[in-house]
Amino acid sequence: MTKSNDKNLGRRQFLSRAGKAGISIAAAGSVSLLLYDAKGPPRHVVKTEEFVTLPDFSVPHVAGQTLSIVRGPDRKQTVTKAIELLGGIERFVKKGETVAIKPNVAFARPPMLGATAHPELVAAVVELCRKAGAKLVYVTDNPIDASASCFTLSGIRKAASEAGASVILPKAHHFKPTTLADGKLIKNWPIFFGPFANIDKLIGISPIKHHERAGASMSMKNWYGLLGGRRNIFHQDINTIIAELAMMVKPTLVILDGTEVMMTNGPTGGSVSDLKRTNTLIASCDMVAADSYGCTLLDLKPKDLPYLAKAQAAGAGTTNYEALKPILDTV
Amino acid sequence: MDSTSDRSKKLETAIGICLLTILFLIAITILIKQSDYDMGRFGIEKAVGEPEPIKAKLLSLVPAGFEMLSEEVYLADNLFEKINGKAPLYIESGFEKLFTQRFINKKNEDLWMELFVFDMAALKNAFSVYSVQRRPDVEFLPDIQFGYKTTDSPYFVHGKYYIEFIASSKSDELFKAMMEVAHNIQTNLPVDKYTEIPELTLFPQENLVTDSPKLYLASAFGFEKFTDIFTAQYKLGDETITAFFGKRPDSKDAQLAAKSYYNFLLENGGELKPAINKILEGKVIDFYDTTEIVSSAGPFVYGIHEAESQQSAEKIAITMLNKLGQGNK
Repeated sequence: MTKSNDKNLGRRQFLSRAGKAGISIAAAGSVSLLLYDAKGPPRHVVKTEEFVTLPDFSVPHVAGQTLSIVRGPDRKQTVTKAIELLGGIERFVKKGETVAIKPNVAFARPPMLGATAHPELVAAVVELCRKAGAKLVYVTDNPIDASASCFTLSGIRKAASEAGASVILPKAHHFKPTTLADGKLIKNWPIFFGPFANIDKLIGISPIKHHERAGASMSMKNWYGLLGGRRNIFHQDINTIIAELAMMVKPTLVILDGTEVMMTNGPTGGSVSDLKRTNTLIASCDMVAADSYGCTLLDLKPKDLPYLAKAQAAGAGTTNYEALKPILDTV
Repeated sequence: MDSTSDRSKKLETAIGICLLTILFLIAITILIKQSDYDMGRFGIEKAVGEPEPIKAKLLSLVPAGFEMLSEEVYLADNLFEKINGKAPLYIESGFEKLFTQRFINKKNEDLWMELFVFDMAALKNAFSVYSVQRRPDVEFLPDIQFGYKTTDSPYFVHGKYYIEFIASSKSDELFKAMMEVAHNIQTNLPVDKYTEIPELTLFPQENLVTDSPKLYLASAFGFEKFTDIFTAQYKLGDETITAFFGKRPDSKDAQLAAKSYYNFLLENGGELKPAINKILEGKVIDFYDTTEIVSSAGPFVYGIHEAESQQSAEKIAITMLNKLGQGNK
């Protein structure tokens, strides 16, 4: 400060100081230039050959045997009858095949609350598959909550194991990237693929629930469990992601449990007061049709759930379930 | 010459100190403002005071005959991992933290329960998530301002916390243990003394269904711009009428809010219809065979939502107008 205040600053002194300042600025700039990374951090580039695609697990269409609706309070009886009405389990599972069952095991909640697939229903479907001669039956999901707790507290781990299935909990190596052709959201996104890579058939089992964001959670929303990564971002466009899941997954059969439906506070619920007993079980090869009927148990109409129309437009099924002439029965 | 130079030095030093002091004060102000911004501007109340974290009080919560299992803590960015699609409801209502704790019966491992303590930052926010999720036909808990029980578990508000449980099964023993935890929370978890929501007193009392008021902090009636809306039910004979109001900064904002909702209804198939009471002329809309009324009174936007009878709707709307008019004085 003292020198800079010197009014008798000479030309030489000025040039010397200006030179030093210039060198300092140039040095700082050079260091910045040296450290500057124009490309930024390297991005993991997924090669096209690394992408996986879920196989088509659907079975050939049989006219008049696409959708069955069975009334009754006993899940084992209703699911057995519902599958029988569609041609029997042998239509869907052949001797020696490997079957994956994907129940909704999203939460670490007891079966009483209806937030997850009911263990008795899962066990009944495992038994049917075993009876049909399935070589292996897997029961698997990628829950929202901690997977071990979800499978244990929901009662599904015990029920499935006792019925003769192998329970597979998600591991990091099970996830592979996928891109859905014509998809808007599922692009280079990790999916829970491992357990489904070498199976022959895929069966979805889900309860019917109110869903705060989507309106309802049923068969199509059940495939949300296949998404890995920070999948919550898809809640911003919930109707599109559910429709895209219906495009991505082509199951053999879906089973929609309306024995007790969660009318309010879904998808987690929390009280038996959220449930209503409707004693209905739906089995279908067309999950859009199954959900279109299922939503009526929540006092909704298919048009109230925009993802149903989107899925229909994408060719995943029909919202006009009546056109399929559903087979009705009571047990 | 020297004395002039000395004066310059002192002056420059003083100016330098002043500038540095100003810069320092600006930095401090920015820090203070950032750490204490007014969440009320975003429709969310800010917390008043910071009670002792619940974790430190855990041991005092354990009911007799039970022991603690795992505990978990979730923040806004990972709340979906616990409650998935229900997370937005909490996050849009001021959610700060979720603490969960499982308790298991020492003698019977099939008897377990999980405590959920949602830190909602303020009583009003906690009341909002409590009220919009309240189950129908419940029994209200005595001695708790906002609390009820279903056949399997209790739910209540404790200051800025919204508290609920899940039970492994329907069991008297579990229910008793949950009520014990609830009592322990009320006794041992300190919260702000401020336990009133003044807006609740603005509903006219005549024909009001007790404990029916709800608070929608976001998207009331499916209309995104309708925030901070209180609703309550009124019983007129066999008919149940839903009345609503929301307080805005001034009458101009209230008028805009009313106009905005009015337009939303018309854009979605509503049709203006003549009012029975002249004072409500231009405010009554037929919405798919139900009656909607929307208007403003001072800083309040108010109205009736989906009433079956226009006459009943207008009757309640006028009592709302009179009451809110008084509240405005």
